Amino acid sequence: MIVRISDEGGRISDEVGQVRLAAGWSVPALRWYQRDAIDRWTAANRRGVIALPTGAGKTIAAIAAIAELGVATLVLVPTRVLLDQWVRALGAAWLHPIGRLGDGDHQVLPITVATYASAVGWAPRIGDRFGLVVVDEAHHLGAWCPAEILEMLTAPARLGLTATPPDDASALRRHVGEIVYARSVEELVGDGLAPYDHLTERVTLTPAERARYREARARFAAVYGPFQRVSGGASWADFVQAARKTAAGRDALGGWREYRAVIAYPEGKRRSLRDVLARHVGQRTLVFTSDNATAYAIARELLVMPITHEISRVERTAALARFTAGDLPVLVSSQVLDEGLDVPDADIAIIVGGSGSARRHVQRIGRVLRPRTGKRAIVYELVVADTSEVADLTRRRTGLASAATKTATIGGAP
Amino acid sequence: MTPATRENLGMHPTAARPTVTSTLGPHDATEIRLYDDRDLPWIASILDTVVASTGLPWRVLRERLAHSAHGAVRVSSILQALRRVLGGRAERTRIARKVRGLVLGPPALDDATTTERLARAASHLGLDPEAVRELLWIDLADERPVTLPGGRPDERRLAAYANLDRVQRMVRRAHELHLRVEGDAHALIRTAARWGLVTTLSRAGTATVLDMLGPLSLFHATSVYGRALAALVPYLADHARFELQMTCKLGDGLGRLRLAPPALFPPSSEARAKPSLAARLAKQIAREGITAVLDPPPLVHGASLLYPDLAIHIGDRPRLVELVGFATADYLAAKLARYASAGEPDVVLCVDEHRAPDAAGDPRVLGYRGRLTGAAIVAFLAGCA
Repeated sequence: MIVRISDEGGRISDEVGQVRLAAGWSVPALRWYQRDAIDRWTAANRRGVIALPTGAGKTIAAIAAIAELGVATLVLVPTRVLLDQWVRALGAAWLHPIGRLGDGDHQVLPITVATYASAVGWAPRIGDRFGLVVVDEAHHLGAWCPAEILEMLTAPARLGLTATPPDDASALRRHVGEIVYARSVEELVGDGLAPYDHLTERVTLTPAERARYREARARFAAVYGPFQRVSGGASWADFVQAARKTAAGRDALGGWREYRAVIAYPEGKRRSLRDVLARHVGQRTLVFTSDNATAYAIARELLVMPITHEISRVERTAALARFTAGDLPVLVSSQVLDEGLDVPDADIAIIVGGSGSARRHVQRIGRVLRPRTGKRAIVYELVVADTSEVADLTRRRTGLASAATKTATIGGAP
Repeated sequence: MTPATRENLGMHPTAARPTVTSTLGPHDATEIRLYDDRDLPWIASILDTVVASTGLPWRVLRERLAHSAHGAVRVSSILQALRRVLGGRAERTRIARKVRGLVLGPPALDDATTTERLARAASHLGLDPEAVRELLWIDLADERPVTLPGGRPDERRLAAYANLDRVQRMVRRAHELHLRVEGDAHALIRTAARWGLVTTLSRAGTATVLDMLGPLSLFHATSVYGRALAALVPYLADHARFELQMTCKLGDGLGRLRLAPPALFPPSSEARAKPSLAARLAKQIAREGITAVLDPPPLVHGASLLYPDLAIHIGDRPRLVELVGFATADYLAAKLARYASAGEPDVVLCVDEHRAPDAAGDPRVLGYRGRLTGAAIVAFLAGCA
């Protein structure tokens, strides 16, 4: 076809998405690591992922990259909240209107921000219009962000942003590039991130709670232990599937649920949480729980605002505005605040419950590390002594310092 | 979202029996086994747990039924049906949001603060403080208490709603659907039109056939279209003889499903009716002194059936108008060609450009954005003349 068109005098250009952006940039001064990150990405032929902790200024770094490259850019974001956040940030740095795809808007401009969901439908039609694609929260690529979107975009330059690189980065590597730059929370504290104190509040179970915990855990272990010995390497999903088929298995799952409920919010955590909140009256505080039930229990007891997937977007937005104003100084959540929401600056994080996931821990801690002059954040972790929570705490603490850099090493060149 | 599989779409693994179908091609289709009287005992058992959980949060009910011998899919479908039967979600949301706005604030670290804040809100709302405490979370699916205001629900009614929910979830994952109905299909066809479904009508002997695009065949608004398509399912309850075949996304691949009576569904009178845009336009046009006949007789041409929405008397003869919802350019072109074959080449198709962004610029297509008015149609017809 190409030969035939050429033979007939037609001109074929394989230069796509090279629309030059107009002048009119005012990008804030970059911190040293933001500058480093962009330089590494540029040196990697403008393909790759930058991994920086939440609050370290990934958006600013990306905007600087867009301004320096100066070509039409599509920014992919997971949520409507991030769509608004990006449009605001880009609008503040560039004089011209910013296009939006998502949340009812269908405007395509030289710089356009699109939700993953909208990009799925639009990519076939606009895939050749951009020279650079920026994937925010890039660890979702291949799942929440379908890889097909990236396949339909012809942009030669690709930039991924994440605070928590995935363990399996193959989709990222294929569609965006290697992790070209990574810094952990610990490396940026006191510089790009606010300094913080990491305090552990150890609590104990009451005798009645301890008895319930032991009994429930024993019921679980009686089935789970032998299952693991027989089917070494089996996943949790495999166990659940097998356990459902027998009465003993179902009882074990009930035990698992029960012992986790006991340590999610026992009397000791109740008292400790009140003590911590009393120490920081008036300070903006985020409380993280292991599940929604605990978030609601805290909200019910202390009459504070829960932020969960069941709270509508309108009410959530209003709550965040009241949080900023200081009218609602405490928000409690299990997962929704972890990522994808533009959470205003906060000073205190209280982790009432969590898992051993360092990735999740990084996201949560990052919520209080946005730098401010004179700020020193405090992260409290409430942990029940002599329970499985202690091992979870150790795992996520160990992973905190090394998560990003370790992945960067695996992924290629830091 | 839970991935769709035969199991979680409610297909009974032991009851799946392949049948060779003739209408969609030579491939096997799997029979959809809906809940019926054989299922009432286990539904009753789940209901026993529901009744025993009255007054406790839904979360506790779910925990009691989690990992039960009934199976997660069955439990989930019956609880979902129970929620539909109980209803009232929008009202609860409105109330709870207002109460939370009044009550929630800085942490209430002692009983006095809690009491004072609840009392203040109660006074504002004219309620008892304890009622305020209950209303705070009344909209949250798992936090509100289990209540059965009408007493223990009937098992058959729950089975019917569970069936409806299962079939609606299937059609939301369909690429194409083929519905064959014996008897009067007028209401079904008009309902499909009101919801703007991409439908081609034909006759096959004494049956009326609706060939519809599924949401997965569209590039845009697939979830909106899926909801619209699901709204058609309740009307199957009015038909003693029908056959619905569809190609659906199941797990990683496509599957062919077939549904035929007996199908236990709730009465169609309980379905959410959509106001008729055509009726509103007919009234508006009549107010301008122009005769507009609502739902004129269908056009039959060979096996093809066409259902215009309005016949508007402008000039020496009535002009036919069809309101088109979701559409593709090919679909519009084919529809115009069928009208031409049926002797009505100057039909006017009114197309919502939000739902049909690829609509062709044919002079017989009146594209609109936002609210379509009778005056706009009259002006368009006058322009054509």
